[in-house]
Amino acid sequence: MNTTPPGGDYAPHLHEHRAPVEPARPVRAVASAAAAPMRLADEFFYLAHDDQSGRSRLFESATAHGLAAALLAELCWERRITFEGRHVRVTDPSPPKDWLQHLVLDRLVAEPRHTATRTWLAFLATTAYEQVADRMWQRGMLRQQQVGRLRRRIIYIPTDMNTAAWSWARLSYQLRNYQRLNAFDVALAGLALHTQLDPILLDGAPLAARAFLREQVEQAPVPLRDLLADLGAVVGGAVLSHRTT
Amino acid sequence: MSHSKPDTVSAVLARGRLGIPSVVFFVIAAAAPLTVVAGGATTGYAVTGVTGIPVSYLLVAAVLALFAVGYVAMSRRIVNAGAFYTYVARGLGRPAGVGAAMVALVAYNAMQIGLYGGAGAVTAQFLNDRYGWQLTWWACALAVWAVVAVLGVARIDLNGRVLAVVLVAECVVALTFDAIMVTHPADGTVSFDTLAPSHVFAAGIGAALVTAITGFVGFEGTVVFSEETKDPRRTIARATYIAVAVTGLLYGLSAWAMSVATGPDRIVEAARADGTDLIFNLVSPYLADSVITVARVLFITSLFAALLSFHHTVARYLFALGRERVLPAVFGRTSRRTGAPKVGSLVQSGLAFAVLVGYALAGADPIVHLFFWITVTGGLGVLILMTVTSAAVIGFFARITHAEGSWRSRIAPGIATVALGGILTVTLREFATLLGVEPDSPLRWAFPAAYAAAALAGIAWALVLRTTNPDVYAAVGLGADSDTGPLRAPDAVRQPA
Repeated sequence: MNTTPPGGDYAPHLHEHRAPVEPARPVRAVASAAAAPMRLADEFFYLAHDDQSGRSRLFESATAHGLAAALLAELCWERRITFEGRHVRVTDPSPPKDWLQHLVLDRLVAEPRHTATRTWLAFLATTAYEQVADRMWQRGMLRQQQVGRLRRRIIYIPTDMNTAAWSWARLSYQLRNYQRLNAFDVALAGLALHTQLDPILLDGAPLAARAFLREQVEQAPVPLRDLLADLGAVVGGAVLSHRTT
Repeated sequence: MSHSKPDTVSAVLARGRLGIPSVVFFVIAAAAPLTVVAGGATTGYAVTGVTGIPVSYLLVAAVLALFAVGYVAMSRRIVNAGAFYTYVARGLGRPAGVGAAMVALVAYNAMQIGLYGGAGAVTAQFLNDRYGWQLTWWACALAVWAVVAVLGVARIDLNGRVLAVVLVAECVVALTFDAIMVTHPADGTVSFDTLAPSHVFAAGIGAALVTAITGFVGFEGTVVFSEETKDPRRTIARATYIAVAVTGLLYGLSAWAMSVATGPDRIVEAARADGTDLIFNLVSPYLADSVITVARVLFITSLFAALLSFHHTVARYLFALGRERVLPAVFGRTSRRTGAPKVGSLVQSGLAFAVLVGYALAGADPIVHLFFWITVTGGLGVLILMTVTSAAVIGFFARITHAEGSWRSRIAPGIATVALGGILTVTLREFATLLGVEPDSPLRWAFPAAYAAAALAGIAWALVLRTTNPDVYAAVGLGADSDTGPLRAPDAVRQPA
């Protein structure tokens, strides 16, 4: 197979690695793109952590801001919000089915005085990790393990390696083979690119694959590109203003 | 819009924001007070032979306070961690901005690498005196270098609490020493001779002034924190003035106290004989050995804090320029695990290593030729940057509509530009005195020429970008925001009403 049309099936040859249990979520008719059975923030969480050990692949602030952007992108996907330049606008305040999406949208509706995408990225980043992990844990995608001194720290480990590795395998394969990504994967690849997580997708791949990734992400719809630009700026800002606490 | 409901977003984002003390500790740590008092001032006396060092510190503090007025006013409108060159780009145009960025890279690298000379020599001597270990300065410098290089890539800096403790200890030590020196004057009388304003017009004052400016480098870092402070309008301004005032008074007092203890006429001679040991030797008859040992250790830790701070500064500059694509994009990459500006950090460490090896092979003196020469060259670069930035502040406020009074937007930056320009002129004229070389030595031109070359290369590169890559050119000075453009003012989080 040479190309995957947008909205089409994922690389079928990889299906044998796919999760035995399809994530349980009613497939909804979304106008433009594939009815994705996956949620962006969950997949980004998997991408940003080792599929076996659950260890972080990315520095903390980038993971947090990436998850925050993924949550906003989920709402954009659900047609509740859109991005206009550097600002978020709520287009439809009706509650989404997912509790976390509902929670985020509620905050956006309740705080109309804040419209800057950056402000929301910074705000959501403070809680996004716990919230997304919680959502995934509730759906049986992660399990908790207590580690560290006095077992006080909780880390999350994927319950199924194959489910966890699936997004990585799919993106990595398609980018290396210059196959067009569908809308969901463009968003996921965009999050990876702007949090500087892309080396794990393209480890050892030729420079052309990197250029192909950029090209794919640049074809994302304008609102998503706006969100990604802000994500890149926030992550860059976090690098510049870092202090050890 | 109604503000009656609690603003939870602002409340959450305000957590962990910095107050005035944290910002002051961060920037004074980079200025490294004990390094300046024990190392900078003594070596300044010794190399330049100028006795007006104390009054120079006070004069420079006054000029920098004036500079800070416009600088801080501009920082309220521009948020970017690459402060100086961003300001120059916005105030005097992008070519000047890229030129300033290159000057800044040379200057901060010089500050950082020069400090290795001090750290190596002082550590080697301490280990020799205390434990009888016969180590060369460069072995110690390379050991410190290795630690800084590792911490740089791991993105670890000294945290606020550690810095606060060390800094307060340094100040206590310096003030205790000052009290002892002033109460034990050389000829039984306390002389104010080295504080006389007449020194400002004496020969060699340019060398003394740039030595003093070198001691303050780091204070300009306050604006880097503007986005993370509780109240950007007030915190940064007050922290900057406090940092300048505290360091200025401490440096002036300590340099003067040393001249009291030796006698103003013998201070140069004593500094040449004792070097960086001078201050410790002057007070050791009156203090327990353990106190002196603690002070020496603090001297080393202050050097280390400054080294690490300037290392991070250079790495961040390289990262910001990489994000803008002014430098190759690879500089804009971070370490995936730690989020360190990896390439910038490694390049800085590589450069420092090469210079250290070069000095070791050449058998040059670590204190005079590396610590003093290279850090004052860094100080000269920062002086150039501050002069240009001061002019940029005027240019910036002339271009925009604003509500700042004319004191902040024109008068103070104007006086600061003239004063800094004056210091720059006398410094260049007396650079031979500063280096302690013959007036016809080619070295006196070599160091300033490095900045001219860097500035011209930056300007030329900006002009090339303007024709070949307008997108990159347009993003000059935006740093990490090069994809989005600056976002300022309308958002309530950063500009509390």
